[in-house]
Amino acid sequence: MSKSKKSFSFALAMLTALTLVLSACGGGSNSAESDSASGGKDSEKPVNLIWYTIGTPQKDVDKVMAEVSKYTKEKINATVTMKMVDWGDYAQKMQVNVASGEPMDIVFTAAGGFDYVQNARKGAFMELDDLLEKYGQGIKKTIDPAFLEGSKVDGHNYGIPANKELPQQEVWRFNKKLLDKYNFDITKVKSLDSIEPLLKTIKEKEPGVTPFAMDKNYVPYVPYDYVIQNLPMAVKLDTTDYKIVDILETPEMKQALTTMHKYYQAGYIAPEAATTGSTSDLMTSGNWFMDRAQTQPLADNSWSASYGYPVVSSPASDPIITNTSVQGSIMAISANSEHPEKAMEFLNLLNTDPVLRNMVDSGIEGVHYKKVDDKHMENLPESKNYDMPSYSLGNNMLLYLNPNDPDDKWDQFKKFNASGKNSPILSFNFDSTKVATEMAAVQNVKEQFWASLMTGTVDPETYLPKAIAAFKQAGLDKVMAEAQKQLDEWRAANNK
Amino acid sequence: MAKVIRKKRDFHHVSPGWNVVLNIIAGLFAFICVFPFLFVVIISLTDEKTLATDGYRLLPAKWSLEAYRFVFQSGDTLLRSYGVTILVTVVGTIVSLILISLYAYAISRKSFRYRRFFSIFAILTMLFNGGMIPTYMVVSQLLGLKDSLWALILPLAMNAFYIMILRTFYSTSVPEAIIESGRIDGAGDFYIFLRIVLPLSLPGLATIGLFSTLGYWNDWFNALLYIDNPNLVPLQSMLMRIESSIQFIQQNSANTSLSMAALQSIPQDTSRMAMVVLATLPIIFAYPFFQRYFVQGLTVGAVKE
Amino acid sequence: MAAFFKNLLKNKVMLFMVLPGAIWFFFFSYLPLVGTIVAFKQYRFSRDGFWASIFNSKWVGWDNFKFLFSTNDAYTITRNTLLYNIAFIIIGLVLSVAMAVLLSELVGKTMAKIYQTGMFLPYFLSWVIVGYFAFSFLSMDRGMLNQILGWFGAEPVQWYSDPKYWPYILIFVSLWKSVGYNSVVYLASIMGIDKSLYEAAMIDGASKWQQIRNITIPMLSPIIIIMTLLAVGRIFYADFGLFYQVPRDSGTLYSVTNVIDTYVYRGLKTTGEIGMSTAAGLYQSVVGFVLVIVSNFVVRKIDKDSALF
Repeated sequence: MSKSKKSFSFALAMLTALTLVLSACGGGSNSAESDSASGGKDSEKPVNLIWYTIGTPQKDVDKVMAEVSKYTKEKINATVTMKMVDWGDYAQKMQVNVASGEPMDIVFTAAGGFDYVQNARKGAFMELDDLLEKYGQGIKKTIDPAFLEGSKVDGHNYGIPANKELPQQEVWRFNKKLLDKYNFDITKVKSLDSIEPLLKTIKEKEPGVTPFAMDKNYVPYVPYDYVIQNLPMAVKLDTTDYKIVDILETPEMKQALTTMHKYYQAGYIAPEAATTGSTSDLMTSGNWFMDRAQTQPLADNSWSASYGYPVVSSPASDPIITNTSVQGSIMAISANSEHPEKAMEFLNLLNTDPVLRNMVDSGIEGVHYKKVDDKHMENLPESKNYDMPSYSLGNNMLLYLNPNDPDDKWDQFKKFNASGKNSPILSFNFDSTKVATEMAAVQNVKEQFWASLMTGTVDPETYLPKAIAAFKQAGLDKVMAEAQKQLDEWRAANNK
Repeated sequence: MAKVIRKKRDFHHVSPGWNVVLNIIAGLFAFICVFPFLFVVIISLTDEKTLATDGYRLLPAKWSLEAYRFVFQSGDTLLRSYGVTILVTVVGTIVSLILISLYAYAISRKSFRYRRFFSIFAILTMLFNGGMIPTYMVVSQLLGLKDSLWALILPLAMNAFYIMILRTFYSTSVPEAIIESGRIDGAGDFYIFLRIVLPLSLPGLATIGLFSTLGYWNDWFNALLYIDNPNLVPLQSMLMRIESSIQFIQQNSANTSLSMAALQSIPQDTSRMAMVVLATLPIIFAYPFFQRYFVQGLTVGAVKE
Repeated sequence: MAAFFKNLLKNKVMLFMVLPGAIWFFFFSYLPLVGTIVAFKQYRFSRDGFWASIFNSKWVGWDNFKFLFSTNDAYTITRNTLLYNIAFIIIGLVLSVAMAVLLSELVGKTMAKIYQTGMFLPYFLSWVIVGYFAFSFLSMDRGMLNQILGWFGAEPVQWYSDPKYWPYILIFVSLWKSVGYNSVVYLASIMGIDKSLYEAAMIDGASKWQQIRNITIPMLSPIIIIMTLLAVGRIFYADFGLFYQVPRDSGTLYSVTNVIDTYVYRGLKTTGEIGMSTAAGLYQSVVGFVLVIVSNFVVRKIDKDSALF
């Protein structure tokens, strides 16, 4: 009895000691916080903004950011640290980072990648209405209002969309070298079926070349708009009754998957496509014939420039303005940001100041690129150490033009934007909080079936029914019913 | 005399026919264990184009050293990963030996008033753990070890099981009388531990040390969770990253002479396998040495005989 | 109280010795334990840091567990974890003991050493490397197995998308990696058996097979029982690397490759529902705990010294 009592008091003493140690640690960070908050306005130390963005980490990021920081320190008294997370890892890594409260200020988000709407609802991002009013007047002036309007969640802005192409249009991209070698005519190519003869020739004549390049995120195009990107709920583009359907049960998808499986069996698709995280190896080596991508005006120029060999494309779908395209690239301010005002000032500057925007995009002048004239620039060899995706880094219309780009590039963008048709469910954002458990289960089922079905790896004859049943069992019907209810309400409210 | 022993041993053995059969079985199994490594070596020495058309062959139509040339050309990525792994392994093993040997010694001493408490304190951790996610949150958030080498070192530093093994080792192979005589000579607890107990327990320490060296060298999971910075990627984790794209090597290489055109001719598949071979070699060379200690240590620790 | 401090002072050297380790246990074992309360919450991040997030998140009671058990997932991952581990334990034991006995009976000791060295190799390799090895055999268009199938005119198999082969592949790979090591453990204790026992048996005219059955195996049985029970205690924990690296995280294979550990990890990575993943982890811990206690109790009955506590 006395023994156990003693060891209990000892345990208590030990716990107390450790708690003291702990609270000392915690205290340290607290005091640092209050320091920065109470710092005088003039003698203010520059704040450091942590910026998470998508893309293969580049070697010279820190070097360029040092240069960027010099500039921003002068302009808004802030420095910038950029953290890049690779394409395939971005959604997952950010999921974890946000959930665990990793310090960050500016976060790249998109409908497809690290889902903008869902995470805004989960409270990952700060609501920006006031900040935008106070520090973001420049943004409001330059960015196409369709973007700011289309990225509202329940009537509030949670992020600054990039000013770029508004509709999304799928294209088939071709490696021009092979296209020329076999004299293919790509003007007649549009549907998935129409590419078959081309693939067949390449497969037969070019061993060692992957005819149809894709990674595990590939999904065949069908004329539907998804309620949530990558989950099987969708509405037909020419719908009149606004009915949400399970995309896997539609004849179009079934047809597309059957074709994909046929291609897979014929060897047009890499055998391990369903587990391949990235096609960048193929793009580097040039050992591919075609793939599918989203386009923008003059995209062929920029693809060719970044791969180092000519790439051409032809449309695979019509340009449609969807939530996915409007929310295709957004920079949000993290809910745990310690400097939301500064972050907004920075975003405002990034979207309005050509010097800053181009530095972030192309690196240091004279090192990574050189100016050719006042509108055009050219990459220097060093640019391969700082090759950034332009779409994810803010206002595209401020960028210097590639050597081959016509002077009216951005006017072409504006024309392209005007040409897009609105998806029926544009700006309807599904709130999944009521069916959160079902969503998680559905997500798990998706992980299991999606990639192998979409890449044609498995036979849809047997796997499609299995997948449909598994989704149903996970509660997809309940999720769809909830979505339909919200969609009907939205429709009534918006007179659609 | 020699003859007699000889005869006895012969008596103990199986007949020659059976001996052949047994040799074949054991040899076959040993071969199966080693074969995949040899196969990967062959693949890494295959010509990239031949590989693309013929697949992985035991006897490729064309051999090539191109993969190794490329890996060494952009070698600083590999070297850096080696550096990270070696540093983590060395520091980790030392830290873990210090922590474990001290803890185990204290709870092996009957004179330590709180030995029961601390034994249970350690043993409980074997029974119940918080699991991956709470651990992740403590390490990354509370301790702030994300993207730091400590995130690779500390989570593997202790293990209640090793403590128990070493405690048993102390109590069986360090006679109480020696410690007592040390005490009579007026030596302090710490002095006794350092000068008497440690030297006597070297085989036990070596076993624990080797287990922990192996653990650190082969660890990839902690890097998967905690490391984003490409400069801190250990060897195993680098092999994981190049699985989906060999670009990781060239992107992080300081060798800027790799031009666009040169990149297009990288032997991608064979280079991957060359990296696997290069990452395995140190283990292959070190392991006959490991093996000896393992066999010794196993009889010491797990079996206590 | 004064006595308490006096005791502390008297034991200060020893306390100093356990201190670093105790701190480690506190941070890496006990704090995460506190963190498991997340399993009963709908975890939402809060600005005020880690503890605030945990404590401010909404209590949802058993909802996270309900989710786990309402889908097929709980059944699948429990079944996979248990069945694979049972297979590993039983087949592994038989093969390792057989191999140990076999090695001990070989006439040429040099050959035995060489075999042993070869068998030991896989144990030293990481799962990442084993994953590459497996790929060189299983790759659909280049792998050795499909080439061999090709010689016999058979259709190539899509190894990474056909679940029906994977139970065998996983069991094979697991045994490939562990049998060599385990057989050396058993061999070490066979070497420790008193030679006079065999001599006595031979004088009585016992055959080789009788010697093995009546001397070797009984003498080995304590260590066999202990090794097995230790494994049984861990039966609810799967080898993450085996189930994650070797199948290349292929979705179609989840029905036969998903185990509790990979499920928890994927929960963290894909759904971001930390509460739900933690619930799965807690389920593993609790059942695992019961199994350790039971198996330790059994070990204690057999050989008191070998028990963990």
